[in-house]
Amino acid sequence: MTSKLYGLEQHDWRWLIAIYLFLAGVAGGAYIGGVAADMMGWGTIAKMGVTMSWPLVGIGCAMLLLDLGQVKNAWRSAMKPGTSWMARGVIIISVFMIVAFIHTVLLWTGMGAGAGMTVLSVIGVAFAFSTMVYTGLLLGDSLPIPFWDTVLLPILFFVSALSTGLMALILVGTLHGGHDEAMAALARADIILIIVEILILAAYMHGSVRRPITQPAAQTALTGDLAPMFWGGVAFCGLAAPLCLEAAEIHGAGAVVAAALGLVGGLLLRYVVLAAGVFYGYTAAGFTFNPVNNPKMEMPDIGMVPPGNT
Amino acid sequence: MPRYGMVIDLKRCYGCYACVTACKAANHTPPGVFWSRVLKGESGKFPNTVRQALPILCMHCEDPGCVKVCPTGATYADDDGVVVVDIDVCMGCKYCMMGCPYGARYTVEELKSYFPAGLPLSDYEKHSHAHFTEHSGIGVATKCSFCALRRKEGKEPKCVETCSAKARTFGDLDDPTSEITILVRQNRGFVLKPEQGTNPKVFYLPPR
Repeated sequence: MTSKLYGLEQHDWRWLIAIYLFLAGVAGGAYIGGVAADMMGWGTIAKMGVTMSWPLVGIGCAMLLLDLGQVKNAWRSAMKPGTSWMARGVIIISVFMIVAFIHTVLLWTGMGAGAGMTVLSVIGVAFAFSTMVYTGLLLGDSLPIPFWDTVLLPILFFVSALSTGLMALILVGTLHGGHDEAMAALARADIILIIVEILILAAYMHGSVRRPITQPAAQTALTGDLAPMFWGGVAFCGLAAPLCLEAAEIHGAGAVVAAALGLVGGLLLRYVVLAAGVFYGYTAAGFTFNPVNNPKMEMPDIGMVPPGNT
Repeated sequence: MPRYGMVIDLKRCYGCYACVTACKAANHTPPGVFWSRVLKGESGKFPNTVRQALPILCMHCEDPGCVKVCPTGATYADDDGVVVVDIDVCMGCKYCMMGCPYGARYTVEELKSYFPAGLPLSDYEKHSHAHFTEHSGIGVATKCSFCALRRKEGKEPKCVETCSAKARTFGDLDDPTSEITILVRQNRGFVLKPEQGTNPKVFYLPPR
């Protein structure tokens, strides 16, 4: 528990939020990948990307609802878009889901064509982009967790979202139709994205290690409790393995494995960033105070049984 | 309208945790919820070290981070400057817990007993659970309200009343003659984490 020397990890946003951040990213990436495929004339992939986007956001929203304490008030979630990134996000993902749904219907019925479809795609891509980027800004707005407060986080989430979105397309596409020209092109694009993601992630972690205020968080991720997940899950499974497999131009089952590993890595990246969110301590009049004796912990079950109650 | 604030004199505080316990008794907070808490810090290098207690509560900031991030508008600053949560509006997204630099917010999903599993709830616990459910809410953000219920009865917050060292002073920051304004003005009062720009209304007086 290295981080406990200085700060305290947040325990309130964990897997459910990580799954949501991941799925929203995959959805945005798959949608943008689908629109790009449409421009290239790959109709099947275009349909796949656009069709999978809005249900993925929908599943993510279900995770958010599960995390809420009072679901009955969920309808109020967009009341304050003026100051709250969460309210802005609710508006962004709602519009994105509606646009992607209309786009899906038009693609499958074949009704959409010409300028109208182009305008719809542009709006859809804009909101897909916003969906991918806002997740980083949502975390960045947290005052007490400096690890999240960097411009690199939205960029990292965006590149990871695009990469995992393409990997979702490769996964479904390979399972569906096997290897073809389009799959190879997607894999080549993904290689570039993974390299960019590695560079951004390295810069993010490097910068976090160097800043004293974010050091405990970075240490939790790099050498502390989260290190196995970071190095094994994010760095190896999520980045190195898919990069090698895609660079080796392995198709078929290998491409499926690469994409699946990359997707798992994308989810773990969100979790590591969330779980490494460490509140920073207090300094006052020359004293340093750790928020360690903040007893936000479960009651230990001491196994005491009252007499006569067994 | 008053603008309520608090002064905590670190010279006087000796870290007895009475305020922590009194807050729990007054507000019936369940296990793991500490609207008022005390941190212990150290300065210097052994053997020349000094220990210092630092009582923490909601700072009732002028520009609260929690109010900024709240998507529903459930949390807001009241007319008297006290930051409160409307439990009928809050949806329990916990974003305010990420936005508060002082860790002053807690969400209770389920009320638990203080006593080992298997024991039936005592009458006092039943009363406590009902009180907390009615006034603080389940599944929503909960926090210090400078003892809103006690202030309605004309009393001071419980932590102020209970402090045996008289380290805490509660009062109106807008009144230039109130004890709290004079204390802050004359004793180099400071706030915690000023770099966050939240302008807290809980002030501290230096330990020496």
